[in-house]
Amino acid sequence: MLPTTILIVAFGSAGFVYLAGRVHARVRDTLAVLSSLVLVGLIGLGYGAWREVVYVPDFLGLELVLRLNLLAWFFAITVAAVVSLSTIFSLSYMRRKESANFHYSATLAVEGAMLGTVFAGDLLSFFIFWEIMSWSAYLLISCNRGRALEAGLKYIIMSLVGSCAMLIGLLAMYSGLGVLSIPLVAEGMQAASPGFVLLVLLTFGLGFGIKSAMVPLHTWLPDAHSEAASPFSAVLSGVLIKMGIYGFVLLMYVVVGLKLLLGVGAGWLTFRHILCWLGAITVVVPTFIAVLQSDAKRLLAWSSIGQIGYIILGLSFGTSLAFAGAIFHALNHALCKSLLFLAVGAVEHNTGGVRDLNDLGGLAKRMPVTFACALLAGLGLIGIPLTSGFVPKWLIYRSLIEDGYPFLALAALIGTWGAILYVYKLLHNIFLGQLPEKHREVRRAPLSMRIPILLLGLGILVFGVVPGIPLRAVQDIGHTFGLAQLKVTLWGLGSEAGALNMLNICLAVVIAFAAAFLLLRLGAKGRAVDQEDSYAAGSAVPVGRYHYTVDFYGPLSRMISPYLRDRADEFYYWLAARGREIADLTRKVYTGYAGTYVLYIVSFLAALIFLQLVWHIW
Amino acid sequence: MVTRIIHIVLSPLIALVVAVFLLGLSRIVIARIHRRYGPPIYQPIIDIIRLMNQQSISHGTLFELGVVLALAGSIVTVLFIPLGGTNAPPGSYPLAHGLLCPLSSSGGLLVVIYLMLFGPVSIALGAGASENPNASIGVSRKMLLALAYEVPFLLVILAIMSHYGTISIAEIVSRQQDSAWGVFSVPLSAVAAFLILPAMLGIRPFDLVGAPQEIASGPLAEYGGRYLALLTIQNGIQVFVVIALFVNLFLGGGVNVITFLLKVFAVFLAAELVSAVLPRVRIENALRFCWTWPTGLALAQMIITVVSR
Repeated sequence: MLPTTILIVAFGSAGFVYLAGRVHARVRDTLAVLSSLVLVGLIGLGYGAWREVVYVPDFLGLELVLRLNLLAWFFAITVAAVVSLSTIFSLSYMRRKESANFHYSATLAVEGAMLGTVFAGDLLSFFIFWEIMSWSAYLLISCNRGRALEAGLKYIIMSLVGSCAMLIGLLAMYSGLGVLSIPLVAEGMQAASPGFVLLVLLTFGLGFGIKSAMVPLHTWLPDAHSEAASPFSAVLSGVLIKMGIYGFVLLMYVVVGLKLLLGVGAGWLTFRHILCWLGAITVVVPTFIAVLQSDAKRLLAWSSIGQIGYIILGLSFGTSLAFAGAIFHALNHALCKSLLFLAVGAVEHNTGGVRDLNDLGGLAKRMPVTFACALLAGLGLIGIPLTSGFVPKWLIYRSLIEDGYPFLALAALIGTWGAILYVYKLLHNIFLGQLPEKHREVRRAPLSMRIPILLLGLGILVFGVVPGIPLRAVQDIGHTFGLAQLKVTLWGLGSEAGALNMLNICLAVVIAFAAAFLLLRLGAKGRAVDQEDSYAAGSAVPVGRYHYTVDFYGPLSRMISPYLRDRADEFYYWLAARGREIADLTRKVYTGYAGTYVLYIVSFLAALIFLQLVWHIW
Repeated sequence: MVTRIIHIVLSPLIALVVAVFLLGLSRIVIARIHRRYGPPIYQPIIDIIRLMNQQSISHGTLFELGVVLALAGSIVTVLFIPLGGTNAPPGSYPLAHGLLCPLSSSGGLLVVIYLMLFGPVSIALGAGASENPNASIGVSRKMLLALAYEVPFLLVILAIMSHYGTISIAEIVSRQQDSAWGVFSVPLSAVAAFLILPAMLGIRPFDLVGAPQEIASGPLAEYGGRYLALLTIQNGIQVFVVIALFVNLFLGGGVNVITFLLKVFAVFLAAELVSAVLPRVRIENALRFCWTWPTGLALAQMIITVVSR
């Protein structure tokens, strides 16, 4: 009964938390944190207890099923962990805010819906939970009013387009196969015609592509991520867009199946190739748009799209190495990006709402823990060895290179070098350089903010040094889809050529660090100086404004910004404007005067009579 | 196990000695081209000892940590790069010995290109913590320069990895020793790599990152004393790593350490000869240069490689 229990706890606590907020804020906070932690515990306990539960035996002649398997568990535990950390973070962030009641309750509802989506054992329940997730996320995004309303509207309209496409696919499947339970559908698909398979791939792919923000369906994400409250941005970017990735896994590897998937299309123009190239574009273009941003959360939002590109690339490439890389990277991105959003949220909280990258600086000395963890997460996004980002990216590159797709590998690698640029810009402009006068009084983040940030940072480090833990789960998932087994060891991969051993790298770094440190200790000690005491080649130093941030990558942005217009966004706005024109035209027909309508009815009747008299149709 | 430990100690030591020697050599070569006498070849050693004893300033933990991490990163990178030797059975070549590469079986070239980031990123963090805008400007330039040369460099190594069908440097080296050197089998890549070599080494005409007359040595503006000493060593090792990589990828490595190091000196001299007669360029020009000729050549080679497979 476990999946049902988990869902009941999630949705139940969403309701209770709201009621508790009416009683007292402290009760609500305790309840929200407790229930999110209980969910982590329950899902953790569910490991290994794989089962299927029929929770509604007869719904219009269909069984509604929840199931727990390794794939669902992997995504569920990530969701529960990130949401619970975000809830703990909210304790300080949401204190004394009007919308706090709603925030906690809706966050838990989103969590419940996400868990329902991954637990769903049939496509109808999947669709129902998917819709709950979209709508409750919409409410949370537009919670801040103002610009957030527009961002939320953009999100929900795009989500609805995706849902409609999915509904079409769902109905086609039901009328074609007569079943919606995932294993039965998968069985039915093997005998289906190629056109039908393509229809299913395209309709569901549209829905999942919009949710995971794949280029060119990404345009809702930069607005929604930057306008939502920071703890929810962490959930949004960390796990909610991963539901699109879960959908892709379900669609490509379970419902359609790898064997059938490889056969869709002709020659070079296959579904898989097109998705690979979309993934590559998703890596490169948004990464460089992120470099140009000057709003911390917008930068992170664009970076999210870029990182999703790696996951799509790995998934659609479809070898066991690339698949393992993709799923591992989903976990890595969940950790790194939620940490970065929380860190930016902590800065925002402590400086009174500043997230403009040209208006901060030097905060590393005021918020050392936040800085250290944000640094770790930034390195994880780049994929520096000994962070959890290295192994997944290495797997993806290696797969692309050894299978002879160097251009895709080039896109992936260049995306990484772009990531270095925006990560350094983010860290430098917020935490390094000189501390401006107005931020002198900034204190370190409250404990309830530092704990989630620290835990996420720890996760990045542990999965970086001991990649075998997630890798083993990931390769078991791949194995159930018929992918080849990898030789996973605790420290990496063991095979004859091109093996990977993080223990070697880790030991080498530690020893080299110790050697370099000893060498440093041999020299004369440095004298600590103040930030004003720095070398300016004889010119006067303006106190408190001596931080180089504006136009940080000026020469580059002047060179590339003409090529980086978001044409997809412009196209959708153009479409929306045309839609409005058509709507305006139709509104001219509805004048609101009874006389006009009578005229319409009379002329319609007259036309009918005329038709009958002339051609004798009836 | 014992030989492995010896190799692990030996590789960084070779790198260290050669790095300091290369720094001294470059000063002499440039001086001779400028018709000056130049300092003695052991001048960098004197400088490092002097710097270690000089007083310096510190801007906090990250400022110091950046230096240590940068040096550590460079030392670690050396462990992943073959420094001569061969995997061929004994007796195939005169004076050959086993491959000197302690960590050849841990991820190959893909790990090396990531580890090569360790140094610059650490210096960038330390320089950022130095609270001096000249340092920040220098780092911004370094990031852009790195992006400028990484595009052709990635194309080059992808062409090589596709050509040899492996990501292991040791494998690439032994394949070259069996047949033709990389400079003959992927010639356009070799030319492209040589064109961006000054940018990767940070020497003229691409010394805009630490331009002393413009931005007070950039990232190094606040560093002095023991920090500068360590950064000098780090810079030397980084130079050695880049050139060693070039030798391994295009000149077939070396059957023993001596021939390997001779090739390293030859490549370094060639790069210095180019550098000694050219003025410094601006960062825009560097971006434009790297993304035209070297990128074009590397791209052409990659297309040829992919098509001919």
